[in-house]
Amino acid sequence: MFSSAAIQEIEDIRAKYPNARAALLPAIYVAQREFGWLPPEAYEAVADLLNVPKATVRGVATFYAMYKQKPMGRHLIQLCTNVSCMILGAERLVDLLKSAYGVEPGGVSPDGRFSLVIMECIGACGTAPAMLVNDDFHENLTEKNLQEILEKYK
Amino acid sequence: MITVTINDKEIKLEKAVTVLEAARSAGITIPTLCYHEQLERYGGCRLCLVEVEKMPRLQTACTLMVADGMVVRTETEQIADVRRGILEFLLINHPLDCPYCDKAGECTLQDLVEKYGPGKGRFKEKKRKVPESLQDPVIVRNMERCIMCTRCVRMCEGPQGASAIAVINRGGHSHIEPFSGGRFDCEYCGNCVSVCPVGAIMSRLHRHSYRPWQVKEQYETVCPYCGVGCTVITQVRDDVIKRVIPKLGSSVNNGMLCSRGRFGYEFVGDNDRLTTPLIRKNGVLAEATWEEAITLVAKKLSEIKIASGSEAIAGIASPRCTNEDNYVFQKFMRAVIGSNNIDTTARTGYAGAQSFIENIFGQGATANIISGLANSDTVMVIGGDPTTVNPILGLQIRACARRGGNVLTIGDFAGLSKFSPKKLLPGKYTETILLEAIVTALREKKGLSGSNGPLESKIKDISVTAADAAAKCGVPEQQLSAFVDLLAGAATYSLVIGKEIVQSTGGSYKLLLLAAINYLANGRIYMLTEKANEQGALDMGCAPDLLPGYRPVAFPEFAKKYGAQWHAEISEKPGLNLFAMIDAAENGSLKAMYVMGENAVCNIPNSGRVEKALKNLDFLVVQDIFLTETAKLADVVLPALAWAEKGGTFTNMERRIQLVRKSVQREGLEDWKIIAEIAKNMGYGMEYVSSEGVFHEIAKVSPLYRDLTYEDIGKGENIYPYKGEPLRDVKEDIQVDTASAVASAGKLYLQIERPLFHSGTLSTRAASLRNIYPQAVARISSATAKALSLTEGDVVNVRTKAGSLSLFVAIDKDGDSSAVAISNNFERKGAFRLADYALDQVTKAPCIDAVEISIEKVTA
Amino acid sequence: MMETVLLKNIENPNSADIAEYKKVGGYRSIGKALGMEPQKVIDEVKRAGLRGRGGAGFPVAMKWTFASADPKFPKYLLCNADEGEPGTFKDRPILEKNPHLLIEGMVISGHALKAEYGYIYLRGEYPAAKHILNAAIKQAYDNNLLGENILGKGITFHLAVHQGAGAYICGEETALIESLEGDKGQPRIKPPFPVNVGVFSKPTVVNNVETLSNLPYIIEVGGEAYAKIGTPDCPGPKIFCVSGHVEKPGVYELPMGTKLKDIIYTHCGGIRGGKKLKAVIPGGISTPVLPPEKIDCAMDFVNMPKNGSMLGSGAVIVMDETVCLVKVCYRALKFFEHESCGKCTPCREGTGWLRSILGRIENGEGADGDIEALLTISANMLGKTFCPLGDGAASVVQNFIKHFRPEFEEHIKAKKCAVSG
Ligand SMILES: Cc1cc2nc3c(=O)[nH]c(=O)nc-3n(C[C@H](O)[C@H](O)[C@H](O)COP(=O)(O)O)c2cc1C
Ligand code: SF4
Ligand code: FES
Repeated sequence: MFSSAAIQEIEDIRAKYPNARAALLPAIYVAQREFGWLPPEAYEAVADLLNVPKATVRGVATFYAMYKQKPMGRHLIQLCTNVSCMILGAERLVDLLKSAYGVEPGGVSPDGRFSLVIMECIGACGTAPAMLVNDDFHENLTEKNLQEILEKYK
Repeated sequence: MITVTINDKEIKLEKAVTVLEAARSAGITIPTLCYHEQLERYGGCRLCLVEVEKMPRLQTACTLMVADGMVVRTETEQIADVRRGILEFLLINHPLDCPYCDKAGECTLQDLVEKYGPGKGRFKEKKRKVPESLQDPVIVRNMERCIMCTRCVRMCEGPQGASAIAVINRGGHSHIEPFSGGRFDCEYCGNCVSVCPVGAIMSRLHRHSYRPWQVKEQYETVCPYCGVGCTVITQVRDDVIKRVIPKLGSSVNNGMLCSRGRFGYEFVGDNDRLTTPLIRKNGVLAEATWEEAITLVAKKLSEIKIASGSEAIAGIASPRCTNEDNYVFQKFMRAVIGSNNIDTTARTGYAGAQSFIENIFGQGATANIISGLANSDTVMVIGGDPTTVNPILGLQIRACARRGGNVLTIGDFAGLSKFSPKKLLPGKYTETILLEAIVTALREKKGLSGSNGPLESKIKDISVTAADAAAKCGVPEQQLSAFVDLLAGAATYSLVIGKEIVQSTGGSYKLLLLAAINYLANGRIYMLTEKANEQGALDMGCAPDLLPGYRPVAFPEFAKKYGAQWHAEISEKPGLNLFAMIDAAENGSLKAMYVMGENAVCNIPNSGRVEKALKNLDFLVVQDIFLTETAKLADVVLPALAWAEKGGTFTNMERRIQLVRKSVQREGLEDWKIIAEIAKNMGYGMEYVSSEGVFHEIAKVSPLYRDLTYEDIGKGENIYPYKGEPLRDVKEDIQVDTASAVASAGKLYLQIERPLFHSGTLSTRAASLRNIYPQAVARISSATAKALSLTEGDVVNVRTKAGSLSLFVAIDKDGDSSAVAISNNFERKGAFRLADYALDQVTKAPCIDAVEISIEKVTA
Repeated sequence: MMETVLLKNIENPNSADIAEYKKVGGYRSIGKALGMEPQKVIDEVKRAGLRGRGGAGFPVAMKWTFASADPKFPKYLLCNADEGEPGTFKDRPILEKNPHLLIEGMVISGHALKAEYGYIYLRGEYPAAKHILNAAIKQAYDNNLLGENILGKGITFHLAVHQGAGAYICGEETALIESLEGDKGQPRIKPPFPVNVGVFSKPTVVNNVETLSNLPYIIEVGGEAYAKIGTPDCPGPKIFCVSGHVEKPGVYELPMGTKLKDIIYTHCGGIRGGKKLKAVIPGGISTPVLPPEKIDCAMDFVNMPKNGSMLGSGAVIVMDETVCLVKVCYRALKFFEHESCGKCTPCREGTGWLRSILGRIENGEGADGDIEALLTISANMLGKTFCPLGDGAASVVQNFIKHFRPEFEEHIKAKKCAVSG
């Protein structure tokens, strides 16, 4: 179930649209934040709140890459490996994350600290390679500065 | 007029349609996969690409609308290549398991590949592998065969409106989930099965049991379950129904079915079917020959008639039997036995309510076309969830909502809740006041036109303000006025009335108020009806006061006229109705009863008492297809042929007469034939050669069906008003019963659950429906569960003044916290065992809304 | 260097603040525009010759005229801030540094269209932009630049941010609308076009961030003056975003029609480390790759197609001799496979098939006939998919092979990559 603050938040979002259905994407974001990922209860809570069929909520949620179908680590690393980042060494960073933190693409590090998601372009090609950690952009990554940056995320 | 040229053929069209439709109208086939005539345009499979002059790209025929002067080519070499390419894409992930797949032979993909190639695959990568799933009780899923046409999803979200399935994930990882699991609102209608073009979604019922080309016969007939009367096609092999499918284009259900209609046919071939007559000897039912049984029944009935008089014998006819069966039965009771003691369980609601409404608006007032609901701008629903009682009618209300119509409900109906209904939720037993307030407000808005004096005189002085209603029913004033505004503004209004209103205390007064609302909003009335031929049984005269065609038996000229036709003397004295029969059996004045195709014990409220009363009879004959709990009490049990084993007609709630066709051959006699045999044995000749012969007589005798033939009906001349004589249209003064019930705080009350997956006790004989809904439960709200420390699956004893049952607990989180809902479908566990009742003085329907109920946990 | 219009003031660390925006002349056009008849605003845009910057280059005034002429109300203005085309990062600086420019542009556009509601469909990958936009929208509301009776001119315009959730296809305007309505981002059948039946079934205009951000300037200087920038067919400034192996990657606001060669060598300082140029993708990954001999071409909607590619989003990806093009092609197809919405057969099945063949070749497991297979499979997709995403995927394969076939052949023959080993 949702916290009352979350319910209020969804109601506020709902008010920005002419119908409840349009609030579905933002409401799933709220659910994801509340539950940490999207377990079946999360779909059902959203479905009930917006009176949208459960299967529809699940169908919509699984369509989008940023809705998480599995439990996540404490910090989410979204590393771009699309062409601009790839030609500037993004793949080596993936290897480094594997060796330094034991985190595989799509997985969680054994200590639960990091989840790693390989991204398509994140719009930082001019400062490639780049990643998002939670909501923060980190650009011009190198094998050297990557670990320094991640130090900040405990 | 639009002119298009397709493959050099000029086609003229009245209105813009898609290129595909235009082509089809001219007999040109364009291959399709994602297109389906019942579904919204999609354009995903790309198989229907065609060349259109002046358009640079190929166009999908299924989405492109024709324009005047358009020139289209559908079979060029380029297009053949394109189709081969598309099919190759579809095949890369499709298993080549046609020899094993049940769909082979009716698989669109298989057919298209045969036509367009590719001859051999060049896909060297790994195919997607998805294991077959048998998680669902009625559907088998094989998702690696899925070609993502999404027809099933569009069906489920669109016409069916269940939205139980969706495409999960995206792109090449897409698949369809989850079907079963209740959790996701699956209604088990199987309409996804109908539209799947490949072998990805199929019925489990006939898995690996035959191949489509082995079906030698198929018959267009009528579903045996509810009063909608969907057109179905039975597909038969070796005298076994292998599959029931809906008929596309049927004016009743146009390709749709509910779970009962699609999966409920297995009762026909069930092993528990009665096969020989049974006669009670030394207290036990023993097998007997037909001759023994028929002679015995004739002898006993004759003896009782002589000893105690005709009126000591009564008959209960059947809303599940054909018109022909029912006609012959009532004729037998009237002409052979000599009494008007004939009735059906339609008496528990439909019969009285319909005649009440007809008395106000004239005969045929409730005979309205079901599909009209979808085109109404406003539909109001009260007294039951149409999506479970009459599912296909329910779909029309969903369609109305989808098209932007207003759906108004008084009460909360789960099957409509996703369609944003405007709900009014009056407190328990305050519906009457709410309806009075609506009548008051609507009358003030619309005024009285003067066209229906008797009705107006009843409502002109009703005066309940919105403030009163708010105070007494707990419905906020502004909600009420918004509701009334919608009613007042409706141009095409329809009212759907369920049984809960009819079976409530003061039901006839509520019906009057609803009639008034309908009158003021100028609408049409639909009355939900649970069984396939309730209307027909009434039309046939299975009523103690009305002869076939609703001619009152009490009018001497009618009794004489029918008597002349039947070569017998017909009593002018109305007979006992269903409830009076039980009373009479209980007090001993009724000596014998003949029950045809009705599980009377289960289907008449206060079943315990009914059981005792029937035991009290000297002689009970039960004619049925199963040894029901009623049959178990009988002195003679006569096995009948079931729906699908005989021909005849049903008349649905629209008063549409439809042909029931024999699909399978079985040894035995039709209900009417058994009765005719008994009549003969009693010295009355009934020389019908076939059910059609019976219908000839009906068409001669009943002014309602005058001059109709099976041929007319087959051709679709089957919609009320038929070509018969005009009917009686006597308006009498309107009487109402204004009794009311009062709720005590904190008390629980019995509520009858009318589940989607069952209909009477018949459906519990169908294995697949039993798999979906296996047993009776006591459904309580989470609040009640919490208050009584009950959890799902606990065993409880539920008790009322009438009786007690031990049941498993089911928890409905949105349930009404003053109600314990129990269905009346499972023998010996039916809600009617608990239902004590008083009769509405006018409709004579039992009021079963005020039964106090207590629950206690049974500790192991 | 010309005066910047779109990237004006972005060096200022507080450029997203309304006060800073106003200091450099911001919100001056809004009053002027709201004082004009809606049709006059459209006329001005027509004179400016503004074409959409989202990729297709559709004339803005024409789209607006359709929506404006539709009798249905309310009308909606949607800002396409999905910026998903790989290599593209031109809208991000506007969203993060110059949000008020976009808001001002949207209010003016909304007025022109008689639309009272606007949404910015922002890609989920731009969390910072979401906060910045929301703060800016709040400031605008607080200053009566959004909401009801804006600046006392009796005009209403409401604006909200709608965050996407990671689906490239939502950049396609009808998929965007589906997504905004709370559905999967799958493209809709056209017609009806969004200008008539768009979001919530109402007339809807979808314009790119950069497109809308041109509005204040057009109103300020007038359409005629604006049209003097760039080329006659494609006037105005354009943001080019350059990534890959150049000395100075980044965003450059230059006149439309600036030559690709000049962008790379003059503005971006040439190829990094003095290496040799091998290939350029000029307009985002969906646009056809060009070999070095084809870079002497004006970057606009008219000249690029003549040169065998497209302007696309103006996202220039520069690749030097160290890059394995089979691998780039493979990575691009992996992207398309991941982003295929799954609605139509050729794209859903074809992208994965192409990707797997390319993956094999790249891994040294290529076989004879693979190149033919790539060409026929992609040909079976081209022109047959529901939306341009599938066409993009197919044309990437066709163009990489067209220009760099020997490299593919070499991979298959040698069973390894000659560049990266
Ligand atoms: C697959 C696909 C992806 C697209 N992605 C974007 C995008 O990320 N941003 C954008 O502005 N337009 C994108 N477009 C173009 C839009 O469909 C649309 O043309 C544009 O938003 C119109 O705005 P404009 O006229 O201002 O360019 C995309 C188109 C396609 C077919
Ligand atoms: S049960 Fe009723 S709705 Fe369902 S198929 Fe049969 S007649 Fe139709
Ligand atoms: S039938 Fe037209 S695209 Fe599928």
